Amino acid sequence: MKGFEFFEPTTLAEASQLFAQEHTQLLAGGTDLVIGMKALTEAPQSVISLQKIPGLAGVITEADGSISVGAMTKVREVELSADVQKHHAALAEGAAEIGSIQIRNLATIGGNIAHASPAADTVAGLLVADAQVDIASADGERSVPIDELFTGPGQTVLTPGEIITRFRLPSPSSGSHYIKHKIREVMDLAFIGVAAAVNLDNGTITDARIGLAAVAPTPIRATEAENLLRGNELTEELLEQAGEAAAAASSPISDLRCSAEHRREMVDVLTRRTLQEAVARA
Amino acid sequence: MSEYTVVGQTVARVDAVEKVTGAAQYGADVHPAGMLYGKIVRSKQAHANILSIDTSEAEKLPGVRAIITQDDVPSGRRVFATDKVLYLGEPLAAVAATDPDIAEEAAELIKIEYEVLPVVQDVMEAIKASAPRLQSDAAKDGPNRREISAQIRKLSRDKENDHSDEISKLEAALEEYPDEVYYNISAESHSEAGDVEKGFAESDVVVEDTYVIPRVHQTYMEPHVSVASADSSGKVTVWASTQGPFAIRSGIAGTLGIPLTQINVIGTTMGGGFGGRFGVIITHVPAVLLSQKTGRPVRVQMTREEEFIDGRPAPGCVIKIKTGATNDGQILAREALAFWDSGSVSGASIGSTIRVRGVYKIPNLKVDAYGVHTNKSGTAAYRAPGAPQAIFAGESQLDEIADRIGMDPVKFRLMNMREEGDPVPAGANEPKVGYKETLEAVADAAGWWDREAGENQGWGVAVGDWTNGCGPGGVYVSVHEDGSARIFHGSMDITGTDTMISQITAEILTIPYESVTIRRGDTDSAPYSTGSGGSVVTFTMGNTAKLAAEDAHRRILELASERLNMNVDNLELKDGAVHVISADPPKSISLGELAAYSLSTTGGPIVGKGSFARQASTPALAAQIAKVEVDPDTGRTRVLKLVASQDVGYAINPMAVEGQIEGGTVQGYAWAMMEEMQYGENGNINPGFVDYRVPTSADLPTVESVIVEVPAPNGPYGAKGVGEPPITPTLATMANAVKDAIGVRITELPIKPEKVVEALKSNGH
Repeated sequence: MKGFEFFEPTTLAEASQLFAQEHTQLLAGGTDLVIGMKALTEAPQSVISLQKIPGLAGVITEADGSISVGAMTKVREVELSADVQKHHAALAEGAAEIGSIQIRNLATIGGNIAHASPAADTVAGLLVADAQVDIASADGERSVPIDELFTGPGQTVLTPGEIITRFRLPSPSSGSHYIKHKIREVMDLAFIGVAAAVNLDNGTITDARIGLAAVAPTPIRATEAENLLRGNELTEELLEQAGEAAAAASSPISDLRCSAEHRREMVDVLTRRTLQEAVARA
Repeated sequence: MSEYTVVGQTVARVDAVEKVTGAAQYGADVHPAGMLYGKIVRSKQAHANILSIDTSEAEKLPGVRAIITQDDVPSGRRVFATDKVLYLGEPLAAVAATDPDIAEEAAELIKIEYEVLPVVQDVMEAIKASAPRLQSDAAKDGPNRREISAQIRKLSRDKENDHSDEISKLEAALEEYPDEVYYNISAESHSEAGDVEKGFAESDVVVEDTYVIPRVHQTYMEPHVSVASADSSGKVTVWASTQGPFAIRSGIAGTLGIPLTQINVIGTTMGGGFGGRFGVIITHVPAVLLSQKTGRPVRVQMTREEEFIDGRPAPGCVIKIKTGATNDGQILAREALAFWDSGSVSGASIGSTIRVRGVYKIPNLKVDAYGVHTNKSGTAAYRAPGAPQAIFAGESQLDEIADRIGMDPVKFRLMNMREEGDPVPAGANEPKVGYKETLEAVADAAGWWDREAGENQGWGVAVGDWTNGCGPGGVYVSVHEDGSARIFHGSMDITGTDTMISQITAEILTIPYESVTIRRGDTDSAPYSTGSGGSVVTFTMGNTAKLAAEDAHRRILELASERLNMNVDNLELKDGAVHVISADPPKSISLGELAAYSLSTTGGPIVGKGSFARQASTPALAAQIAKVEVDPDTGRTRVLKLVASQDVGYAINPMAVEGQIEGGTVQGYAWAMMEEMQYGENGNINPGFVDYRVPTSADLPTVESVIVEVPAPNGPYGAKGVGEPPITPTLATMANAVKDAIGVRITELPIKPEKVVEALKSNGH
């Protein structure tokens, strides 16, 4: 590990000013950053801890009944939150897929998202929750929809000094589900991840959202498949069409884990499965 | 009711408390005053000429105390690459610095100029004429060309007669095998029994397949580490995490030209070994060289990434195998041609290819094996070296035959299994073995005979054989005035072997297990001991400890005879005291009293000595049955049941034996289903636990172990080596279960979801 300066600001403004400098990194849970620093793939000159800034952690039920999750909330807390489990099961299930319990007790949801890995396990759940990402900087605050946050692997629209503070989940679904394709039962990275969320009215799908991870340079929504579903009852035929449409929306790569073709096929299979389960839960 | 009171019982391990409390001292816990941190500088290319190594920038870095290259190896034995590197991660130099981060920075500052050469990673590519030649230009003949060439040589030697016509015909026949000229061959091994061509001709069913087994790492929890300290007199002390301190001592002596007894190797508690912890050069030699150069203790510790790029894993292998049998289930012939990926070193486990013969009466057998150089690190032992690979091929194909002739896989195996006195193909006759008992035991325990399988579920069976090694060992046993005994020896505790040695000693001295303590010495103090690998420890050190305790027993009776003024024939040692046989009233003297008395005798204290090196071992069998369920859409396989039986001869500590069976079975499962070192254009591409997957407890149900005891005549209490056999059948067990579930044979490991989906597609799913 290379030497670095360590800062523990107590306000967002202070943190943002420090983070606006070059060669800086934010420390949330540290489960990605510290490994990168040890492997010398990350060598920041300054590390800015977010841990002393109040108000960034915790799951809050807002006045309108919607839920918001602070960026510094531990992944384990997201996984176990009764409110998240009830209204955004796909997000809780995604959180439960990250690393081991020890890792989840350190890692934060903000870190999982800001790291901008297309394979992040909480991202598909946030996509199908239509999450709004609150961002703060010394210049003020703004909010972007989660599906506009990412620009490429490891890349986001965040500008120097901008810090994710909170995820707002405005649209509770009546049923959602996340499935990760993997080899090992636990502590594996997503070969692909698929989340689906639906709202039902008397058996008719009034809204459907499908989020895909690890099948494109950024996490994506399968909007074509969603459009097919909206206004219809879920039939075997519709499931197949939705699966195929989601697979068509993906543009996966081949790597050491598996081939692009396998990933695309699994998008099809898992889209059908997550949809079926989401509808069953609705 | 057992005639024994301590052996045969499950007892707590002697090291349980230190392991659980964290008090055990591992290699990285050793920290002598003034210690420096070493770092090995490694090649960033898989195949390249080294044009220059420039250490000048690194030398200027404050805190750097020494930089060494091959020029600093006085013996000239190869420790670092000089003109050419053969794999990514090959050592080129080493740095010692006052801080590990400085050592790492200095390593990065060393400038290496490479001339990149073409790389070959696949054994089947490496043998071709088109492959780059890695270590030699020489070519070797394949099986058919070998045979023809031998005939030509034989005829040419006969000067009496003219064979020119025959010879030219044979020379023409050679031309029919242009693909049988192999390059980059590091070693070869050939065995034959009977006539395979005749055997195949007489067979009703002949099956031929190619099996591909990946290179896997031992993934012991503790990466390699050594701390070396060379003093001004030239004495070298090495704290080494190793399975064999005496082998490390002679290895360092041989590599660096240091007199043997000027080196003291202190074995530290081992964080797993599995055969991969015998290497000398890996960290020990660089640590010694750096300490000699700086005059300070130096620690060299590998990272997990270094373990993957420059450890000594188990070789991958491609095995072409062919088996012939009659319709009524008699195996008549088997032929195998194997190419083992030996990486940058010679050999790999080519000799283990013979294990394709299994434990069956195969009258005609032919095995040809080649070690092949590739641009990878060398390989070494991993739990029954070479057997899991060969047995995967043999036992997978056996199921294919059983399937063709419509015979139950267990019955088919039982029918062909060897028994006492049967000839072993290309070997001696069988001693008393427990093959059938072991297979029957697992079949009964697993419920094989009335097995049921739901949709996408399947059952698989396989067996694997292995024979423990043996080697030299020495043990002292002293009896103290409080009636307790202490053992002193030099063998590394591996998976509870110190516990086993203590149990045997307690049994012979008729004292409670708790009254025995055991101390391991370093190579300066302890008698020679063979390395803790090859399932030798129970066999060797168990016998040695038994001899030492029996020697002490003899002295105890001698002392009692003096003290009680009785003939030894009238005395017996029982429950920690010497009793006068049939005395009325009873008369006895305790071990403590005898030990106290001994201190003032001419003969002196009670010290038993045991020394042992070699006796014939007896083969052991592991038999396993798995039930799996395969998700045909995602290709994921779930294990529903995994039952493992093993003939252990005699279970000295049944819980430790079960632990070994479970551990070996899980490692075999992992090799079958997920573990695989992957290589790209420039070397290993998954050097860490993110993409090199080892299973967790969530992946498997409880492995049910079944102990079978067919005693080994020369084992202590009949015990056989237990550590290695359980990994040998599991690869095939899993593959056979998946085949039963999906109806398609997967011949290339690991059985990843993608392969299952592809296989099902090829079958019309």
